[in-house]
Amino acid sequence: MIELKNLKKTFEGFTAVDGVSLQIETGEFFGLLGPNGAGKTTTIGMLSTLLLPTSGEIYINGELLSRKRQDLKRKVSVITQEYSMRQDMDMDEIMEYQGRLYFMPVKEIRARTEELFAFAGLTAHRRKTVRKLSGGMKRKLMVCRALLTEPEILLLDEPTAGMDAISRRQMWNLLRQLNEQGLTILLTTHYIEEAQALCGRVALMNEGKLGEVDSPAHLIEDLGPYAVDEMLADGIHSQYFHRRQEAIAHLSGLSGQCTLRDTTLEDVFVERVGKSLT
Amino acid sequence: MGIRTILWEKWREFIRDFSRITMAALIAPLMYLIVFGWGIRSSMNGQPYLYFLIPGVVSLTTMNGSFNAIAQNLNVQRLYEKAFDQVIISPTPLWQFIAGQILAGALRGLYAGGLILLLVLPIGTGLVFNGLSILILFLNGAVFSALGIVVSFLARNHADVPRFSNYFIMPMAYLCNTFFSTEQIPRGVREFIAALPLSQTSRMVRAISTGEPANLWGILVLLAYLGALTAVGLYFVYKKKNL
Repeated sequence: MIELKNLKKTFEGFTAVDGVSLQIETGEFFGLLGPNGAGKTTTIGMLSTLLLPTSGEIYINGELLSRKRQDLKRKVSVITQEYSMRQDMDMDEIMEYQGRLYFMPVKEIRARTEELFAFAGLTAHRRKTVRKLSGGMKRKLMVCRALLTEPEILLLDEPTAGMDAISRRQMWNLLRQLNEQGLTILLTTHYIEEAQALCGRVALMNEGKLGEVDSPAHLIEDLGPYAVDEMLADGIHSQYFHRRQEAIAHLSGLSGQCTLRDTTLEDVFVERVGKSLT
Repeated sequence: MGIRTILWEKWREFIRDFSRITMAALIAPLMYLIVFGWGIRSSMNGQPYLYFLIPGVVSLTTMNGSFNAIAQNLNVQRLYEKAFDQVIISPTPLWQFIAGQILAGALRGLYAGGLILLLVLPIGTGLVFNGLSILILFLNGAVFSALGIVVSFLARNHADVPRFSNYFIMPMAYLCNTFFSTEQIPRGVREFIAALPLSQTSRMVRAISTGEPANLWGILVLLAYLGALTAVGLYFVYKKKNL
């Protein structure tokens, strides 16, 4: 279990994360959603010990996390938003370096690298240095690297950024499989449909503070599962209804171009987070 | 174990960039030897100036080799490639990362210094470079590797490391008992310069090379620098909130 207790992080007077408390159960697939600058990456940064909290604590399975806790760090793998890899190393070297940093025997590193490269379709490119890889291949390599050490917790900061639609779906399937095998996953993403498709629970974050925490289905239900979009001169205006009949009744009273559809997590995001920004 | 990982990483880097590393290590000291040793022919204390110059150039080459092997590389890994993030995240104890960098940097410095010694070997100077000289040069490299770590953590952008080199490493290369004795520097400044690690290294290595009695207190001075700089490096990796 991951537990954040009143976590706060300030950078030269600017509060990036402001008193976040959260529990993520073992085996959960949890999503952290928020606009740019909401504090998601900073939160992941503190969970990975890249950043130290200004105040508050992080517990993993009830034990306080710090940069010195090798035993806890061994359980965690992180896929950062940026391609955090040496540009002059080839793929095999990237994997071996990672494995060595996690004290894996070289034989095991090589065997597992074979499996992961075959799975990710990277085998043919393994001698290429990182600087010669496309963005999508770098992402795949980062996933392989994160999985090499067989972590218990996977922290993903925008893992599908820069991936094409097919690669993204492949990644979703992989993450689902890993979660089904018991891996605890914390995901931040700009793709709301990604969170809706994958996460058992999501938290809406804005200006460093945590808002609602619930399952996507509950959040949608709470807003109203039926959405009516009306095209007006200043853009689309959406209204949400708990009952289909109410939505249809509202729709029939409108004169312009309008549609009835299912509410999505993106609607919840726009309503809860977007409106607080405007 | 973590130290071995860092040594492996630096070894791969060395193999990959072997020719570039070797050329970079050779070119400046070679110029010094040609210009000051052969070009401007002179003598010092009745001996060819080259005999005075070689121990100094070897010392400054280990300094440059070690500092450059660590500072710029770590700076790029931290600020540009973000590869350093993976080290922080990993369970490798961060003190082992620091120790590995210092050890690897010191070895790179020794390699660079060794190249110069090989280069001047055919001249037959009769200068002695023994195990003690190598230990001192290794320590010198370790000090400047540790300095490289500190500088790379202090750097806020890619230009900061070359800037530091310009303001601190280059003046040391010229002033610290390398091209002329610190005895010729006016009092006040002399004591300060003589206390710098490169001055200590050059002084001891030169004394050993000419068979004069060497005051080995300088080893303690080098160890003190190494201890202090390592402590600062450890402070950064364990305590700095935003690396």
